[in-house]
Amino acid sequence: MMTLDTGRIFEARNLDYDYPGNIAALRQINLTIGPGELVALLGANGSGKSTLLKLLDGLIFPSRGEVLAFGQPLSEKSLRDGPFVLEFRRRVGLVFQDPDVQLFSSTVWDEVTFGPLQLRIPKDEVVSRGSDALKLLNIAHLRERPPYRLSSGEKKKVALASVLSLHPQVLLLDEPTTGLDPWSQGNLIDFLIDWADEGKSLVFSTQDLDTVEELASRVIVLGTDHILVADGRPEEFLSDPDFLLRTNLVHEHSHRHKELVHRHQHLHDHHH
Amino acid sequence: MKSEGFLSRNISNITHILESVISAEDLCRAPGLLQGLDARVKVATVVLFIVVVGLARSLPILGAVFVLILALGLLSRIPLGLFLKRILIFIPIFTAVIAIPALFVTPGEPLVTVGTKVIITEQGARTAGLLVLRVTDSLSFGVLLILTTRWTNILAALRWFRVPSLFVAILGMTYRYILLLLHTVNSMFLARRSRTLGSLSGGENRRWLAQALGTTMAKSHHLSEEVYLAMLSRGYRDDGLVLNGLSLRRWDFLWVAFALAAASLLLWINQL
Amino acid sequence: MHIPDGYLSPATAGTMYAVAAPFWYVATTSVRQALTGRTVPVLALFAAFSFVLMMFNIPLPGGTTGHAVGGTLLAIVLGPWAAIIGISVVLGIQALFFGDGGLIAFGANCFNMAIVLPLVGYFIYRVISSNSEATSTRRLVAAVLASYIALVAAAFVAAVEFGLQPHFFHTADGTPLYCPYGLDEALPAMMGGHLLIAGPVEALTTGLVFAYLQRTHSSLIKADVPGKREGKLWLLWGALGLVALATPVGLLASGTAWGEWGVDELEDLGLGFIPSGMQRFAEWWPAPLPDYGWPRMGAVIGYILSAFAGIALVALLLWLLGRALIRKGQVSTREPPPATTDALR
Repeated sequence: MMTLDTGRIFEARNLDYDYPGNIAALRQINLTIGPGELVALLGANGSGKSTLLKLLDGLIFPSRGEVLAFGQPLSEKSLRDGPFVLEFRRRVGLVFQDPDVQLFSSTVWDEVTFGPLQLRIPKDEVVSRGSDALKLLNIAHLRERPPYRLSSGEKKKVALASVLSLHPQVLLLDEPTTGLDPWSQGNLIDFLIDWADEGKSLVFSTQDLDTVEELASRVIVLGTDHILVADGRPEEFLSDPDFLLRTNLVHEHSHRHKELVHRHQHLHDHHH
Repeated sequence: MKSEGFLSRNISNITHILESVISAEDLCRAPGLLQGLDARVKVATVVLFIVVVGLARSLPILGAVFVLILALGLLSRIPLGLFLKRILIFIPIFTAVIAIPALFVTPGEPLVTVGTKVIITEQGARTAGLLVLRVTDSLSFGVLLILTTRWTNILAALRWFRVPSLFVAILGMTYRYILLLLHTVNSMFLARRSRTLGSLSGGENRRWLAQALGTTMAKSHHLSEEVYLAMLSRGYRDDGLVLNGLSLRRWDFLWVAFALAAASLLLWINQL
Repeated sequence: MHIPDGYLSPATAGTMYAVAAPFWYVATTSVRQALTGRTVPVLALFAAFSFVLMMFNIPLPGGTTGHAVGGTLLAIVLGPWAAIIGISVVLGIQALFFGDGGLIAFGANCFNMAIVLPLVGYFIYRVISSNSEATSTRRLVAAVLASYIALVAAAFVAAVEFGLQPHFFHTADGTPLYCPYGLDEALPAMMGGHLLIAGPVEALTTGLVFAYLQRTHSSLIKADVPGKREGKLWLLWGALGLVALATPVGLLASGTAWGEWGVDELEDLGLGFIPSGMQRFAEWWPAPLPDYGWPRMGAVIGYILSAFAGIALVALLLWLLGRALIRKGQVSTREPPPATTDALR
């Protein structure tokens, strides 16, 4: 009987991952994530952020090294253990970057109740969890809609709701704010901050440095050479323009309004 | 081969499908007679009547059934124009065209002589009429079902009728992703058309089409992998675990009685 | 080639459901074993692609356009069993939603397009391409030829289904109750159209997409090494293909035996009619029926019974062979699930 240690969340030890055809995706990743941490996963496109999230969710397995969740290794073998899988899938939820991949059911209601039903939760509770998840994200009116009649913002909410109905302890989110308008982004961030109370853990990948500031207590940066280049508090790295440029997190001509990371002079006609 | 024709035809094909899906869905929500019936009852009724139509031997019976169909459409708030368009356009007209030679070719008693040599036989006229009416009636029942029953309920009804849950699960998911792929492909067509000045040769169109199809196939393959991971991530183990919202009411029993009575009457008259 | 309701008698339609059923059963078992958990998403996405493919208006050289089915293409990429299920699902959606193909004729349509087509196509593809490289021209030629022949085979089966209707299902005064055209009219009509237009469209589409896949995603077309076990399977499929072509004739004929017409009634009503029909039928398709000659009642019944027995035997053999191969294929329960769809082939 594999027991879960809920005091430990994720560990990666000397983790390597290759894409099919022996193309390097991740090299020598070592990290530990504990309860209550809000971790931002940063890196340019192609740096392996989605891959790492999928590894943490036990959907793919390392080429070398290992990934542990709640103290137990995540491997093809361990995920054949019925009770362990049930517990693991219940506690960890992954929201994919492309909501169309996650919205595979015929209606929003079917989608939101899919997880709890698969986890053998009794019918009555499935119904109440489904309703609660929809209410939580203000999408109860979308209940009977089929996915092709949802806007992209609505799809993202349904995707999140369908994971929340699992009542997970850990949320993994792959670029949750990408494609959202600023108002929705702000809403989502507020929601996640509320959700993360009481010891829940969050790991989210993003390209948006502003989101990192508002939400993350810790930052992990994947470099362009597939290794982990930074792991620590946001302030340590995000005010270092050279670092940001080196890791392709900003462009020479970009600037942010939170902190002055201008690299070149140009005229503004508005005030900071 | 003018590129305008080729692209536009395909675009309008796709657009037409997408629109008819949406309009069908809206009609399912109208407060009509058939909309209020249980999906299982409707599916069974439709199959029953198509078989009755298949066993009929006389034109008056098939004509009476058509009147019944129109009445049901009216009572279910289906706009007459839309209904007639869906049940008469294409297949019945196509059938009528196919049936024309039968007027002359079927051996039997002469009915009408066209010119000096060409004879339309009684048997020919009757067989053409039987075919066209039979095809129209059968098709119309299918249309009534689709316009008054929500897709998820049709799936639930199939499950209840013991159609293997594997098939039903695939059926549901296929439909969902057909709509996604149609959107994707339509965008490809529209983009191509907007970039095309003048007409392209048949060869250029074919090459482009091959690429579009190949890309779509690869996308389907990619999606299938990702969807599987998304399902796994929420604990996927079994097909057919869906909250079934179907329940029989008094109207359903009344309808079953009516349908059986009508079918019996028609079959009895058929024997005479 | 989608047959609407009304063209086939309920007896015929019911028979075709019965004929399709064993194929559906074997396909489901094979695919479930090979794909395990991935079955639903893989088949759903490929069925969705199939639907989109069927919808395209394909331009032929010369200006005409047509629609392809893509069954052979699907069988090549996913294997014949998955193609059977995938295309059946697409036909189901087309029938339900778009009235393209009837609901009781669904069994017949599946037999023609979802069973005969991919099985024949896959068999011919494997025979022609044998051991060649995934990106070779030989494979492309194999795919093109196989898809053409498979579509024509499917059209032939459909034509036979049509053509037998007036011979066996008519009123006392000779009015055909369903499809009014006998084999002598239905066969040339359907075969003409499919040999000259639909067949080339299918071949062209398959060729274009296959060539594209060879260039960009050749992993989807695995170069396969036939083993002893696979050799037997090909023979079986080949035999099945031929038998499948003969099936509708046999079972449709047997349909009349327990359908509306008893032997006596046939003699009373249409003996003059039937033999002339069968005679014309034999003229059009003499090769597989060299022994049947001109029908007398005895000969007809003998043919019916042997065809029926033949079908039943092959279906049983197929089922048994499928089970045996599947059991052999499972090395141990600890084998990790297949990472891709390769396991189907």
